[in-house]
Amino acid sequence: MTHQTLATPQLLDIQTAFPLLRLLNPKQHTRFVLASLAVGLIVSYLAVAMGWLPLWGATALTLIVLLPAGMLKWRDDHRRYGATIMGLSILVTAQGLHTVEHLVQWTQYHLFYLTMRQSNGLLSPANAEWVHFVWNWLVLIAVVALMFGGMRGVWMWLLFVVALFHTVEHSYTFIRYQMILRELTAMDVLNVTAQGLPGIVGRDGWLARSEWTRGTWICTIPGLTTAVRLDVHFWWNAIEMAFLAVAGHFYLRKRFNDVA
Amino acid sequence: MPLARFVVPLLLAGCLCSAQGTHTPAVRHTPPTSTASVTLATAPLLAPDACRGAFVTHRLDFTTGIRLREIGTYISNGSGVAANDLDNDGDIDLAFASVDGEGRILWNEGNLRFTSASLDDRFARGVAIVDVDADGWNDIVFTHRGLAGVSYWRNLGADDSQASSADHRPIFELSSLPGVDHYAYAMAWGDVDGDGDLDLVTGTYGAELKQHGIDPPEEDPKVGIVLYLQDEGVWTAQVLDRHAEALSVAILDLTGDGQSEIWVGNDFALDDKIWKYNANGWQRIFLFTQTSYNTMTTDWGDLTNDGKLTLFTTDMNPYDISPRTLAMWVPVINQLVPHHRADDVQIMANVLLERDSQGRWQNQATARGVDASGWSWDARFGDLDQDGYLDLYIVNGMIATDLFGHLHNSELVEENQAYRNRGDGSFDSAPQWQLGSTASGRGMIMADMDNDGDLDIVVNNLRGFAHVHENQLCSGASLQVDLAWSGSQNINAIGAQLALHTDKGVLRRDVRASGGYLSGDPVRVHFGFPAEARLDRLEIEWPDGEVSLVDAPLRNSLLKVTR
Repeated sequence: MTHQTLATPQLLDIQTAFPLLRLLNPKQHTRFVLASLAVGLIVSYLAVAMGWLPLWGATALTLIVLLPAGMLKWRDDHRRYGATIMGLSILVTAQGLHTVEHLVQWTQYHLFYLTMRQSNGLLSPANAEWVHFVWNWLVLIAVVALMFGGMRGVWMWLLFVVALFHTVEHSYTFIRYQMILRELTAMDVLNVTAQGLPGIVGRDGWLARSEWTRGTWICTIPGLTTAVRLDVHFWWNAIEMAFLAVAGHFYLRKRFNDVA
Repeated sequence: MPLARFVVPLLLAGCLCSAQGTHTPAVRHTPPTSTASVTLATAPLLAPDACRGAFVTHRLDFTTGIRLREIGTYISNGSGVAANDLDNDGDIDLAFASVDGEGRILWNEGNLRFTSASLDDRFARGVAIVDVDADGWNDIVFTHRGLAGVSYWRNLGADDSQASSADHRPIFELSSLPGVDHYAYAMAWGDVDGDGDLDLVTGTYGAELKQHGIDPPEEDPKVGIVLYLQDEGVWTAQVLDRHAEALSVAILDLTGDGQSEIWVGNDFALDDKIWKYNANGWQRIFLFTQTSYNTMTTDWGDLTNDGKLTLFTTDMNPYDISPRTLAMWVPVINQLVPHHRADDVQIMANVLLERDSQGRWQNQATARGVDASGWSWDARFGDLDQDGYLDLYIVNGMIATDLFGHLHNSELVEENQAYRNRGDGSFDSAPQWQLGSTASGRGMIMADMDNDGDLDIVVNNLRGFAHVHENQLCSGASLQVDLAWSGSQNINAIGAQLALHTDKGVLRRDVRASGGYLSGDPVRVHFGFPAEARLDRLEIEWPDGEVSLVDAPLRNSLLKVTR
């Protein structure tokens, strides 16, 4: 009897203790979200199985199918909590999906032992450089917008710094990608991709291969100048997601307490 | 000009001999059991002709690959070069292997002048100059591309009755090595079993054999890594491995127990492998925590003069990451998809292995600045600036219509890379030495070709003239040592360990006749050191473990030590 009376409040307490879960709960849109997900997955599976779409196309299709449910959910967030929390809701959801992408890549490489080039996740085969360049700029803009919206604090500043450097990294790789494509075009090589090359950090990256650092201790800093690009970005994204979650947690706890 | 002309040989009596209990363990652990008497002959080395503070490149009368209309893989792998004294005149001569024509001997006439003589041995890959039959005349051995094995050109010696120098040259006769009958791409010579004669290890290159219809190669009885143990001129074959993509074979003591192991560098996904002899015969052992993926060559040396052995292998990794360079590489990088497996220790980069405090071989190439040197083939340690520390030279480039069709003449043009040892085993790029040749180098040796004491470099370039890079750095001083083990079947004492004790440290070298990428090292050992260094003694540990000591050897001299 005692256990039963305590059980329900414990479940409720999870969302109280972790307000991000409360924010991400689709609530009345749960069925719509699940139905959209099911439809998206089935259609995508068929599209891939029938050869109508590549995997990245099917992934994009699933996300598009999920979008209406998401829009409704985020509209409700806006009505309930305002623009900043809606923005947080969108960013956490999107960054969570982005984390899935990196997790898939990590799994492909480290668990299934696919090659680096084969371990390109679900969406990145479209064009890893464009996808990550656009994505990281959007994340950085979103982080800045949230800060302007009042979501500040140590964790948010840490997130900002990490997101800033992540964006710089992808801008560097994107610019070099374009430069290499230009060189390839000048050589009449038009059917070759130049994606996935190292950036500033990681093995064979600028930091490890610069004239100023070559042969110094900087070239062997574990992870920073030794990890392959896939691992660098997996951990970069994981850290970014962790800071976002912690920053969101403290912000929401305060806001929800204020509301209560 | 023969070195003998400049020499007033000083026959020094004899021999100083005492066992050294403190001999460096990393080079050879087994304490010497006894001492060996030796006689010494010292000849002064020549003063350098010119000192430009850099290397000066000269073209040699040899080409390979120019007869082919187009070069695809694996013709692109080119051939090697070997160096040793073929006519016993004191000068180091050269033998070139040719991937598309006949081989060639370049007789060293002195002052970097050579007389060329063709040798009717075609489509060769590797070459070594080694006194196989221990008759006092160095022979020439080739390996080949395709479905061919080893060819042995026996040096019959010179006809002393002939007056002219051309007629005075030795005659070579194509002979056989009884029992040596497998295909062979790479090879190494050494006394593997410690019985006093020379043994042979060969390796095949599966990728090329497939082009010749041997597929899968491992099912062909003439394929694999083969150890030929010699017993009075007859070789007994033992196949160590049917799987082979061997580009380089080395015989050296990797475990520090005084016994030689066999180290094979394999191309592609096939692991580099080491075999060690124990009670159950030759067994594969695992020592390295990281290896090159496409191992092109192997070399070793003591980089810090502390008795610690360092190993080096080359691979393909662009030496700069500019967009222009990467654009040249990217179409090929996309084709070179490395396999990936759970226990794979391979990395597509040069690897420099040193033992850590637990005795494990760890890769230090990135920390030492030599992990990426281009599409690299041969690489050798040698004290090029004679400061007492081994430097590193790596030859680069690739020509292949099926890989680099997007580039002019299907050629990836890269500069060879020279690295100067800082003294702590790490390296600085040394463009000031002007060794950045853009010819497409493959095999390479370091030897004093002009008898001025410093190391020159000879490269066998694909689709171009071979080069000798004359050392005109004019820094430091040197001692060169020839060992002669009379009465032995290993007459040049291949495998002997030498330690030159100076007030600047102990410099260690070993005697080799084969090595690197498809090439043959000179048996003459070169020690470089600062000009002001004091030479205390030379310690020679012969292949049988006996030791000879030479007190206060003369600097800037060629010392012949005869046991």
